[in-house]
Amino acid sequence: MLDGKIPAGPLEQKWDKYRSTMKLINPANKRKYNIIVVGTGLAGGAAAATLAELGYNVKNFCIQDSPRRAHSIAAQGGINAAKNYPNDGDSIWRLFHDTIKGGDYRSREGNVYRLAQVSNNIIDQCVAQGVPFARDYGGLLDNRSFGGAQVSRTFYARGQTGQQLLLGAYSSLSRQIGLGKVRMFPRSELVDLVVVDGRTRGVVMRNLVNGQLESHAGDAVILATGGYGNVFFLSTNAASCNVGAAFKAYKKGAYFANPCYTQIHPTCIPVSGTHQSKLTLMSESLRNDGRVWVPKDPSDKRSPANIPESDRFYYLEEKYPSFGNLVPRDVASRNAKEVCDKGLGVSATGYAVYLDFSDAIKRDGKDVVAKKYGNLFDMYHNIIDDNPYETPMMIYPATHYTMGGLWVDYELQTTIPGCFALGEANFSDHGANRLGASALMQGLADGYFVIPYTIAPFLANNGNSDIQKDHAAFKDAEKKADAYVKKILSINGKQTADEIHRKLGQIIWDYVGMARNNEGLKKAIGMIKELQEQFWSNVTVPGSDTDYNFALQKAMRVADFLEFGELMAVDALDRQESCGGHLNEAFQTDEGEARRDDDNYCHVAAWEYKGQGNEPAFHKEPLVFENVELTQRSYK
Amino acid sequence: MTTQGKTINITLKVWRQKGPGVKGKLETIEAKNISTDMSFLEMLDTINEGRIVQGKEPIEFDNDCREGICGMCGAVVNGIPHGPEKAMTLCQLHMRKFKNEDIIVVEPWRARAFPIIKDLVVDRSALDKIIQSGGFVSMVAGGAPDANAIPISQNIAEKAMDAAACIGCGACVAACPNASAMLFVSAKISQLALLPQGKPEAAQRAWNMVHAMDDCGFGNCTNEKECEAACPKEISIVNIARMNREFIKAGFASHVM
Amino acid sequence: MNWIINTFGTSIGKKFLMALSGACFIGFLLGHLGGNITLYFGKDTFNSYAEHLHALGILVTMAEISLLSLLVIHVLTGIILFFQNLAARPQRYVANKRAGGRTWASATMPYTGVLILSFVLLHLINFHFVKKTPDNTIFDIVSKTFAQPGYMVIYIIAMIVVALHVSHGFWSLFQTLGANHPKYMPIITKVGIVLSLVFGIGFGLLPIYVPLIAS
Repeated sequence: MLDGKIPAGPLEQKWDKYRSTMKLINPANKRKYNIIVVGTGLAGGAAAATLAELGYNVKNFCIQDSPRRAHSIAAQGGINAAKNYPNDGDSIWRLFHDTIKGGDYRSREGNVYRLAQVSNNIIDQCVAQGVPFARDYGGLLDNRSFGGAQVSRTFYARGQTGQQLLLGAYSSLSRQIGLGKVRMFPRSELVDLVVVDGRTRGVVMRNLVNGQLESHAGDAVILATGGYGNVFFLSTNAASCNVGAAFKAYKKGAYFANPCYTQIHPTCIPVSGTHQSKLTLMSESLRNDGRVWVPKDPSDKRSPANIPESDRFYYLEEKYPSFGNLVPRDVASRNAKEVCDKGLGVSATGYAVYLDFSDAIKRDGKDVVAKKYGNLFDMYHNIIDDNPYETPMMIYPATHYTMGGLWVDYELQTTIPGCFALGEANFSDHGANRLGASALMQGLADGYFVIPYTIAPFLANNGNSDIQKDHAAFKDAEKKADAYVKKILSINGKQTADEIHRKLGQIIWDYVGMARNNEGLKKAIGMIKELQEQFWSNVTVPGSDTDYNFALQKAMRVADFLEFGELMAVDALDRQESCGGHLNEAFQTDEGEARRDDDNYCHVAAWEYKGQGNEPAFHKEPLVFENVELTQRSYK
Repeated sequence: MTTQGKTINITLKVWRQKGPGVKGKLETIEAKNISTDMSFLEMLDTINEGRIVQGKEPIEFDNDCREGICGMCGAVVNGIPHGPEKAMTLCQLHMRKFKNEDIIVVEPWRARAFPIIKDLVVDRSALDKIIQSGGFVSMVAGGAPDANAIPISQNIAEKAMDAAACIGCGACVAACPNASAMLFVSAKISQLALLPQGKPEAAQRAWNMVHAMDDCGFGNCTNEKECEAACPKEISIVNIARMNREFIKAGFASHVM
Repeated sequence: MNWIINTFGTSIGKKFLMALSGACFIGFLLGHLGGNITLYFGKDTFNSYAEHLHALGILVTMAEISLLSLLVIHVLTGIILFFQNLAARPQRYVANKRAGGRTWASATMPYTGVLILSFVLLHLINFHFVKKTPDNTIFDIVSKTFAQPGYMVIYIIAMIVVALHVSHGFWSLFQTLGANHPKYMPIITKVGIVLSLVFGIGFGLLPIYVPLIAS
C-alpha cells in the first residue's frame, strides 16, 4: 500500500501546517546542494528559477535550443485562480471542489486543496514578473469563464496565456542563469537516471548537438518533462514531447501512476492524410456558439449547405438537452467518435463532425462572430483552406493532455528517494480528467510554490550525496546508453521510426483511446508487443551518433513509447470501471456516461517496473475522501 | 474551394552543411506528389522519410510545436524568413501557396551570431544570452503584492502584450540586411519598460541588454524595416524606437554606467 | 568618462550619432537652400547674399568647423557601421528577396552617402576653394561651371542622390532618436518626402536655371 504522506489535520490547514513544521536548510547551506532539473516548461523553469533564488545550485536541461520553447508555450485558454475578483462567489474551496469533481474523484484531496490555495500566489507572481494579462478599462485584471465553469476565474493573455506564463518563468530563469546560479544545458536529453543505494544520484544526458553522453551528479533530481500524449503519434503535443525521462525513472524504480488517464480534446482540426505530423487544437470556446452535427444518413455526401435541417443530426443537443454543445470535453469527444464509428462522420476520411456557426452568424452578425473567433477562423482557414464563415468547420477530437504520470507523494517525491516529478510529468492533481485552464496552474504551483518547500526536508534528512560523476555507476550508465544508441543505429532495417510510431499511434487510438473494452485492450497489448519486435529488428536510422541527428532522437523516443504504450493498455485493462478520461464500454450509465466503481477502484494505480518482458507489479494508493461527497456526473 | 487531394511536384534547393564551420552547399532535391494540404515542414518530413529508407541523410531542421508559437522552426524560403506569407511561421506555411514545378530555395538563418549546427539548424543561444543580461524583472517568488494592487491601463497592457508576443524565432535577425537583433531586443525592453513592474530597473535593463546584444556580434539597425515585415508575430519597429529612447535615457539621464 | 564611450560606442549610440549629425545636415541644407534661392533672383541678389554671409566672419569659420566635424562623425560612423554590418553576416544568402520593408532609398544609404561625400568634395573645389574677385564673382564661377554640360549633369544627379538619401534619412533619424509614435510618424514620413523633393528640385533646377539667366 502506497502512502501519499498527506499531512494530518483539517484540509484547510494541511499545507500551512506542513510549511510551518517542515525541516529547513539554513541559507548558507543551501549553496552546498546541487539540484538537477530536467525540463524548462512551466514546472521545470519555475522550479529551477525558484530553487536558485533560494540559493541552491541548479543545473537545468531541456531538449529544445532554448528553455523558452517548452510546450507549455502552446496553451491557449488561460490559468485558473480562486481570486474571486469578479465577486461571483468563487473561493479556494470551490476551485478545489470543481477540480476534484472534474477529475471524477480520482485525485487526492490534500494535493488539490493545496493547488487551489497557491493558485492566487501564482497570479500575483506572474503579474509582478510583467506577464501582460488582459485587463479591463479600469486597469484591473479581467477574468473569463472557461470550460463550462460557473464562475469567471480564468486569467488570460489573449490566446497566448501559456506563452506569456512560460516567458515569465523563462525570464526568472534567465536572471538566475545570468547570475550564475543556474547552469543551463539546452539541446540535452535524459538517457538515464542514476540510482545508487536507494537514492537518486544524478543523470546521464545526451548532448543532441554532438551526441556526447554527459554525466551530472546531484543531490536531488527533478523531472519536469511533460506528458506522454505523443504515444498517440498524432496529438496536440509538440514534436519533441516524449515519455523518455519519466520512463527511464520508471525503469529505475519510480512507480508510474494511472497511465491510462489521457484527455482527448473535442475541438481539434481533423486528420487530413498520412503526411500529417500533428493535430492543431482550436479553443474550446468555439462550442459556445457553434452547433455540432453530422448528416443523419451515412450515404449523404451533399455539401453541408445543401443538407436541410431535417436531415441533420445535432447529436449533442438531442442527447444532452440542458448542456447541449457545452458538455465536458470527455463527453463531447466520445460522442464525436461514436457517430463517426457509425459511419456518420464527414470529410474525406469520415473522421470529422461539423461545427456550424451559421446560426450564430444569422443571430449576431458576421462581425460579432469574427470579433470572438476571428483568429481561430483564420487559423482554420489557413490549415484546411476552407472558409468557416461560409461552410461549417470540421472538427475531431485529439489527444491533448495526460493526467497520469510518475507517482509522487505530497512532497512531489517519486518512489525513488531524491527523485521528484512536477507538472504534467506527475499524476497528482487532475485525477481522471483535467479541467480547462488548470494545467498551467498546476505546473506553476509545483514549480514556484511547492517544490521549493518540499525538497528541503529530503535534503535536510539525507545531506549531500557522496557520489560524484566519476563513480562506477555513472560510467556504467554511460556505457549502457552508448551501447543502446549504437544498437539502434545498427539495426539497418526497412522501416523508419516515424512509420512504426504511426502504427503504434493507430493501435493506441483504436484500442486505448476514447472508449476501451477488455477485448480490444488485450488485442492492443499483443499488437504493441509485435510492434516492439518490428522496431528492434526492422527500424532504420540514418547517420551517426556523433552529430545532430533528429532521426536518431526520434527513434530513441519511439522505443520508449513502444514500451510505454503497453503499460497504458495494462493499466486500462486493470481498471475495471469507467472514470473521467478512461471509459471502458462495459461500465457506462444508462445515459452513456462513465460509471465509476468507487468500492473497488477508488484508488491510484501505480506500476512498478519488473524488468524487460515481465509484467509490471501493481501497487495501490487508496483515495480517501473526507471532505467531498462522491457523486455521479450527469449532463442531461 | 478546397484543394484537398491536389498534389504538386517541386524542386528544392536546400542548404546542406555537415556541421559548424564546415563549407556547405545547396543540394537539389526533387519532390514528387507533394499534397498541397501539407505544411512546409510536413513536406520536409515526407522527403526525409523517403531519404531515410533510401539510406540517405535526411535534411535537418529545427521544429517543435508546429502551431506557430514556440519559435523553434524557421528557414529562409526563396529569400524570405518563414516564407512568403505575412505573419506566419514556417510550420504554418502550407504547400498550397506553391505551384506545380516551383523551384524553392531553402536556406538557414544566416548571421555571424547564429552559427550553423547542421543543414538548416542554427544556434540561437545568443538571444538567450541577451535575455539573461536583463530581460526580466528582478523579483523572487513569494514576495509579490496582490495582482490587482497596481492598475495598468488597458492600452498599456495591450501594447506590452503586442511586444510580448515575440516568439524569439530569430526571423528578424535573418531578415535584417545587417543581421541585427534590434527587433527582438526591443520587444523585451519595450514590454518591461511599458509596465510599472518593469520600470524600477528600466535603465539598467536597457543598458545591459544593448551591450549584451552588441557583444553577441549582431549587426546594427539601419531602419530597413525588413524585420517588421518578416516577423511572424508582426512586432512593430515602434518598439525599436522605444528601446532607443530607453537606452539614451539610460546613457544620459540615469546612474547607469 | 567611460560612460560616454560606452554610450556612443554601442550600436544604438552610433546610430544616435548618425541621426544627430544627419539632422544637422538637414538643417544645413535648409539654410543652404535658403541662400541659394537668391540665385533664382539673379546675379546681384546672389552676390549680395554671398557678401553678407562672408561679412559674418568668425561665425562662418565656426560654422565651417562644425560642419567639418559633423561630416567626420557622420562619415566615420557610417563607415564603421557599414563594415560591422557586413561582418555580421559573413555568409550571404543565395536567394535574396525583400520581405516588404526595404526601399530603394534605405538599401542604398551607404552608397548614396559615398556619392554625396564625393560630390561635396567636388562642390567645395568648384565653389569654395576658388578665388573670388570683383571680376570673377561667385555668381560668375557658378554660372561658368554650370555652363559645362558635364558639370550640369553631375550636379543634377547629385541632387537626386541627396533627395534619395534624405527621403530615408529624415524619418529614420526620428526613429533612431526614439520619436516613433502612431500619431506623428505618418506626418514625419510625409514631411521627409516633401523635404527630399524640395531639396532635389530646389537645388536640382539651379544647374539648368543659372546658365539660362547668365547668358
